[in-house]
Amino acid sequence: MNSAKPKPTPPGEVILEVKDLVQIYGKRPVLNGISFQVRKGETFVIMGGSGCGKTTLLRNLIGAQRPTSGSIHLFGEDITKISPQDLDRIRLRFGMNFQFGALFQSMTVGENIALPLQEHSQVDPSLIEMVVKMKLELVGLTGFENFKPTELSGGMRKRVGLARALALDPELVFSDEPTSGLDPVMTAVVDQLTLDSTRKIGVTAVVVSHDMTSCFRIATRLLMLGSGPRQGEVVAEGTPEEMKINPDPFLQQFLRGEADGPIPFRLSQDDYLKHLLGDG
Amino acid sequence: MKLSLQSLLNVEGNGYGLLNVRIFGWILYGLTRRGILVPSQILAQMIRIGVQALPMASLVALSVGFILAMQSSTELGKLGADSFIPDLVSLSLMRELGPLLIAIIVVGRSGSAVAAEIGTMKVNEEIEALRVMAIPPIRYLVIPRYIALMIMLPCLTIFGNCIGLAGGWAVCAGTLGMSTSFYIMHAVQRPEVWDLYSGLIKSVVFAHILITIACYQGLNVEGGAEGVGRATTASVVYSILWIIIADALLTGLFYFVL
Repeated sequence: MNSAKPKPTPPGEVILEVKDLVQIYGKRPVLNGISFQVRKGETFVIMGGSGCGKTTLLRNLIGAQRPTSGSIHLFGEDITKISPQDLDRIRLRFGMNFQFGALFQSMTVGENIALPLQEHSQVDPSLIEMVVKMKLELVGLTGFENFKPTELSGGMRKRVGLARALALDPELVFSDEPTSGLDPVMTAVVDQLTLDSTRKIGVTAVVVSHDMTSCFRIATRLLMLGSGPRQGEVVAEGTPEEMKINPDPFLQQFLRGEADGPIPFRLSQDDYLKHLLGDG
Repeated sequence: MKLSLQSLLNVEGNGYGLLNVRIFGWILYGLTRRGILVPSQILAQMIRIGVQALPMASLVALSVGFILAMQSSTELGKLGADSFIPDLVSLSLMRELGPLLIAIIVVGRSGSAVAAEIGTMKVNEEIEALRVMAIPPIRYLVIPRYIALMIMLPCLTIFGNCIGLAGGWAVCAGTLGMSTSFYIMHAVQRPEVWDLYSGLIKSVVFAHILITIACYQGLNVEGGAEGVGRATTASVVYSILWIIIADALLTGLFYFVL
């Protein structure tokens, strides 16, 4: 689709930079001044409780929605300001692994993986077939080319989603809850695939997850988004070791998975009163 | 030209008017560049939404032919004008009933299927996946269906007209003792070429209304399975409504102006 292939980002260079990102739905701020950087080769995990804005942040990062304010520099270009054509050019440099796979139900597994190659490369169909087999081998699904997505288990669908995201050999892969709903063995398998793609192929990964075991298994750096009184703020950011010793009570409650703590599971007294009286 | 057309194709918004602009934009763009209009995709849709509708369209057209011949024979027979039945069947089918009824059948069968299919893709994030893969959903999903239906609905209409005429012949030959050669001569000689063209113009307009409404409803589904159901129903209801309104306007235009 686009002629000149862009120069890959050198290792260690900033590949993604988010500055003061704000997303407001109605009057409710979902993301409140988020800033972070992701460098080439990292596995950056964004974690946080349900409703903290993880998916909203991810949708902003892939250009699926525009933020209320702030900037997102992806491969050096601010995707909040560029034209849709330029955004499409950048999209060819990253892959996206959706939470439920988002596989095309009318196509076979092989056709799903082949689609980006057919659309964006001029390679021979026999070569595309070979690439499909290689990507399926990468995710441990050799021989499943002719299966329909409905014939696969949840874990298999997620692995096909990852294979499709890697089809164009992107520099960066976004993954939305890659292990949610999977049993521990399948979770470990998907985690291993993420590690393989980052360590062996050199892909940078940005993973959104709330699965603590998985987060600490794959991450080189983590970021926690807050909820409740700290809705949409960065609660903490650092390496797995730094996060474990960070004394922030929000972070520690989340890491320990405790019901009691600063992360509220219901509205505050004031907010509840406002809600009851119809002001909220 | 190329730059402005590309900008037009990527204008943000979900309105029905914008969908029409984008469809025409992509077709124009596709005519100047390879790989946009993919014959295999168009052919697959022609089979799915056109060829597979043939049995149902045939049955309806045959029934309409029967009905027209039987109803007209009752009244025309009283006037001793049975010989005009082939003329009436032929003209009614070509000008009006052929394009209208075939379009309504295709709305119910293929229009609803397109709305449901695209709507389900939206709910399953498949449309979002296309966008993230830098594949414009209008170009990939809507254009093949649009071109397929713009070709297939007029074809189905011509086919339906022929089957309807056969239905009329069965009544005339079976119950009125009319000879086949007499029936064919009157059915073919009485209509003018414009009668056929006016019906085909209508079927092209109906195809545009049908497929754009179905795709628009599908692309704008919100709210899961319930939303898909709502979009499918809305697609059928609005398509039939606008097809009948367009039919009245076109008939008026042909009657008063042309």
